[in-house]
Amino acid sequence: MLLRLDTASSSPLHEQVAGAIRRAIAEGECVPGDRLPPARDLSRALDVNVNTVLRGLRALRDEGVLEFRRGRGVTVADGADRRSALLDRVRDLVADAAHLGYSKNDVIEMIREIP
Amino acid sequence: MTDRGRRSTTAWGTVGWCVGVLVLLAALPPAASSRLPERLATHWNAGSGRPDGSMPLWAAALFPALVWAVLTAVVALALRRAGTGSGAIPGWALAGLGFGGVMLLGGQTSIVRANLDHADWHDAGPVTSWVVGTLVVAATVGALGFLAAQRALAQTPAQAPPQDGPALDLPAGQRVVWLAHTSNPWLQAISAVTGLLAIAVAVGALAGLTDSPVALAATPFALACVLVLGCSSVQARVTERGLDVTFGPLRWPGRHWALEDIESARTENLTPAQVGGWGYRLSGLGTTVMLRGGECLVIRTARGKDFGVSVDDAEHAAALLNSLSAQHTR
Repeated sequence: MLLRLDTASSSPLHEQVAGAIRRAIAEGECVPGDRLPPARDLSRALDVNVNTVLRGLRALRDEGVLEFRRGRGVTVADGADRRSALLDRVRDLVADAAHLGYSKNDVIEMIREIP
Repeated sequence: MTDRGRRSTTAWGTVGWCVGVLVLLAALPPAASSRLPERLATHWNAGSGRPDGSMPLWAAALFPALVWAVLTAVVALALRRAGTGSGAIPGWALAGLGFGGVMLLGGQTSIVRANLDHADWHDAGPVTSWVVGTLVVAATVGALGFLAAQRALAQTPAQAPPQDGPALDLPAGQRVVWLAHTSNPWLQAISAVTGLLAIAVAVGALAGLTDSPVALAATPFALACVLVLGCSSVQARVTERGLDVTFGPLRWPGRHWALEDIESARTENLTPAQVGGWGYRLSGLGTTVMLRGGECLVIRTARGKDFGVSVDDAEHAAALLNSLSAQHTR
């Protein structure tokens, strides 16, 4: 799988790692059910500390993008590709809102008001 | 002489060598039968140098010929499977046929000479010096055959000149890497079975169920287990540092090529029959790590050799390697 790490961005490294995997899933580099390379391999390839990679992977598990299974390693969750794309749009939305002076709660209120 | 002409001469020379050795092996004892005993001494005690085994004349004539026939048949089959239809014979085949032929001929000559003019095989003379001489000559002929084939390969121009392979867009401020992993469950199963056999034999020997010579059989099983396990999975990664390929679950041993060592990268569809089987394959033109037939990443190194590895998504890897190389040299 091809991974693009956005080194120019100012966000923390573990978020960049999560972003690289999110993008790979969104672009179809790996499909639901695929096994991700072990964290050690990712760490060597990306030249990032293995704990940082694990932190990124755990964030993706909490988002429901990845599944950790004992003995099977880390796999891409069902529907992760669509969910991941949707989450990207939500993230953009929150960023745009912040730019315009609206907080996350304001955005949540706006979504609630939509019939 | 043209290239094709030279190749067909080599092929015919090899066929002539095979047939000639076969005829000599079978004909030598009957030709000297009037001066030989009824049974020929065919085995000598390594310590005392006295003969300790014998065969009838017809068996002594046919047995080495049969061994040679099997050897040539195996080499011919392997060549057929490797698909070298162009008439070029790889170095290992020339070395094997040269070494095997000289060994068998030397052995047969030693046996006939030791038995010559003796009434009974127990009186046959010693063969040690002849065996040593034969080994030296056979090793020399084998090495010469190998070197000659390497030279011939080096002279043939490389097919598929390095062309513009696939490329990839590499924006600034992005670190692009590629990873892949392939494993072959059949090889893993073979490794597990040989490992269990090694343990079973070792435990049996420790428990005193078998003699120590049988316990030695655990060694090849254990060796096969480790070797097959090492070839049963492969990990590849492409980074700004180049291409890394590591073997087995321990990710060791591995091979590394820096970007400047790689001339170009491409993908090829290869089958195990084309590269000579599964696992780590060496051939005249390069090396292939073959775990399954299909898509392979192939790099042409700066030394002009090819290295291939069977991995999924090789298209991206080749594109990334070519783009990184272009960026590196710029």
